[in-house]
Amino acid sequence: MSAIPALYFDGRRSQRHPVTLLLAGGRIKIVGRDVDAGFEARRVRVSTRIANTPRWIFLPGGAACVSDDNDAIDRVVRERRVQRAIHRLEARPAFAAVAVLLVAALFWAIVDFGLPYAAARVAEHIPLEAEVVLGTEALEGMDQFGLAPSRLPQERQEELAAKLEALAALAPDAPAYRIEFRSAPVIGANAFALPSGIIVLTDELVGLAQADDEVLAVLAHELGHVRHRHVMRRLLEGSAVALLVAGVTGDVAAATSLAAAAPTLVLQSKFSRDNEREADAYAFDLMRRAGIEPGNFGAILARMEGQAPRGPMLPNFLSSHPATEERKALSEAK
Amino acid sequence: MTASTLAGPAPASPEREVRPEFRGSAAEYFRVWIVNLLFTLLTLGIYSAWAKVRKKRYLYGNTRLDGDSFNYFASARAILKGRILAVIVFFAYAIVTELVPVSVWAFLGVGLLLLPVILVRALRFNARNSAWRGLRFDFPARVREALPLYLGMPLLVVITFGLAYPWFMARHKQYVISHHAFGTTPLGCSMPVGKVYGIYFRAGLIILGMSVVAVLGAMVVSPVAVLLPQAGWLAFLLPVLAVYIAYAFAYAYVQARLTNLAWNSTYGAGVRFASTLGAIDLAGLYISNLLAIVFTLGLAVPWAVVRTLRYRLENFAMLLAEEAVHEAAPGLVNVGATGQELGEIFNVDFGV
Repeated sequence: MSAIPALYFDGRRSQRHPVTLLLAGGRIKIVGRDVDAGFEARRVRVSTRIANTPRWIFLPGGAACVSDDNDAIDRVVRERRVQRAIHRLEARPAFAAVAVLLVAALFWAIVDFGLPYAAARVAEHIPLEAEVVLGTEALEGMDQFGLAPSRLPQERQEELAAKLEALAALAPDAPAYRIEFRSAPVIGANAFALPSGIIVLTDELVGLAQADDEVLAVLAHELGHVRHRHVMRRLLEGSAVALLVAGVTGDVAAATSLAAAAPTLVLQSKFSRDNEREADAYAFDLMRRAGIEPGNFGAILARMEGQAPRGPMLPNFLSSHPATEERKALSEAK
Repeated sequence: MTASTLAGPAPASPEREVRPEFRGSAAEYFRVWIVNLLFTLLTLGIYSAWAKVRKKRYLYGNTRLDGDSFNYFASARAILKGRILAVIVFFAYAIVTELVPVSVWAFLGVGLLLLPVILVRALRFNARNSAWRGLRFDFPARVREALPLYLGMPLLVVITFGLAYPWFMARHKQYVISHHAFGTTPLGCSMPVGKVYGIYFRAGLIILGMSVVAVLGAMVVSPVAVLLPQAGWLAFLLPVLAVYIAYAFAYAYVQARLTNLAWNSTYGAGVRFASTLGAIDLAGLYISNLLAIVFTLGLAVPWAVVRTLRYRLENFAMLLAEEAVHEAAPGLVNVGATGQELGEIFNVDFGV
């Protein structure tokens, strides 16, 4: 027989009664100055152990006892094996160290592999048409600020569009796209893939290119963005990352929400760089099929960076694109 | 107890001061936290509901008031159900509003209409699953009573360009506290609206003053960006940081003063409360927590939780005029956790 000191609450009034729990022969007896009750032990539910928090013994009829003597309760109560295992893992500093490493590894696996993979699979099932409103609004917004109608002659536009069409036809999985020519005095030489497959090509890029193959190299890269649904994936990945980060930092007060914003920014920059690399790989593949020299891509990128307006230099982990030197070296190695 | 003791001023009889204390430790909580985070990641989030219950049980169980601990006994299954629904709504919101930006108004409209329901159900879920001395808390408010406050007042705030906001916050705190009950013993609260306006006015001055300092600081630092292009991003970051500190300080000031005012205006049968949070202490706590969390890549979260809780408990006291025995409310049924989970994912502040 074992005796465990405890407090008894009848569940109807907040009065505390010091008692002793007596366990013998499958029965539990609660004995105190003005308490005397007995129950079959199997009708009593004991709360699971969490570190050294007080244990509750819920009695039939709404009364309950609470005891600080966790070890005495563990000797008489058989917790479910899973519960015992969880408590033992939580109790050991050595396992906490192992858990830190495992959490880091899992986090890395989820961020580097699981999440992008899942986002890509989900994005495949969402039709490109879902992005039409967003794409139209994005183009309208840029037309109001920064973009102007193209000053390239109609024939030149048609010539480039035809070359792009021929290039896209070589891809085994060419996406539906729409090319738009614009002049961009502020933004300068560039090309963008907007939602719903709109590809914007600036006159300045056509002017900067020393050969049409250089323009096609950049357009092939933008086709890669469209083909791999980077707009939709960025959306899905962004939402999932927000949940993931909230899962870690969500316990702290809202004022520290910057603690959630900073890692989200770093992770989203990482996804963005990964997408750029994927689009680069797509471009190299397409250029190989079309017999375009891959060095064209690196050459035009280097020239674009040379004439781009210089903003504040961001460290690599916050940058949306991989370093141009890295991409140029890759294009020359291909 | 009579009606006069419930509503009356501080009674003349000597009061006994009772302070809560936290008996856990950051190291112990870290072990619970990391193991539960590991299982949450391993199960792709499913275990997070059980993790939440275990973490809350650790914090409640180690908090003692007048010698007795609190108890939290929410069902992890109920939390999981609410959480799954909340995650679905969150993804729908994030993706649909991005693809069709106009739809944000539809989400906002539905959200505002649902806010009273979410608030009442979340508070009730938390209250009914919390207990002290074997007696559950309760939040017996009706949604119908919350409608004029949470539908009408936000409208008034918009119409008055925010001037009514402190009044709304005073009414909100008052509503939340005065609808809580311990067993059948209700709490009462009457917030002095004028003092709440004073708090927000001074918080506005804090932001204004510190922002001026931040801008002046940025002007001093910006030449560095021209001289050292490699450090350009730093010059961009510093003013942001300064404004953040100003914001954190004003936020802490409002938190501290509003919480103090709310508890000091609260009374029950033979009981008063005293809250003595300091704005500077709280701001220091927020900023040091943030730095610790960022530089340990999140590992300092449990430490931050424990020291914040400890500080809040140290600055709270219950003043008992009589040794009242409280009685349980009959027939409390469980409520779903969807309201609570929706509120958490969309960052609705229920707090007192």
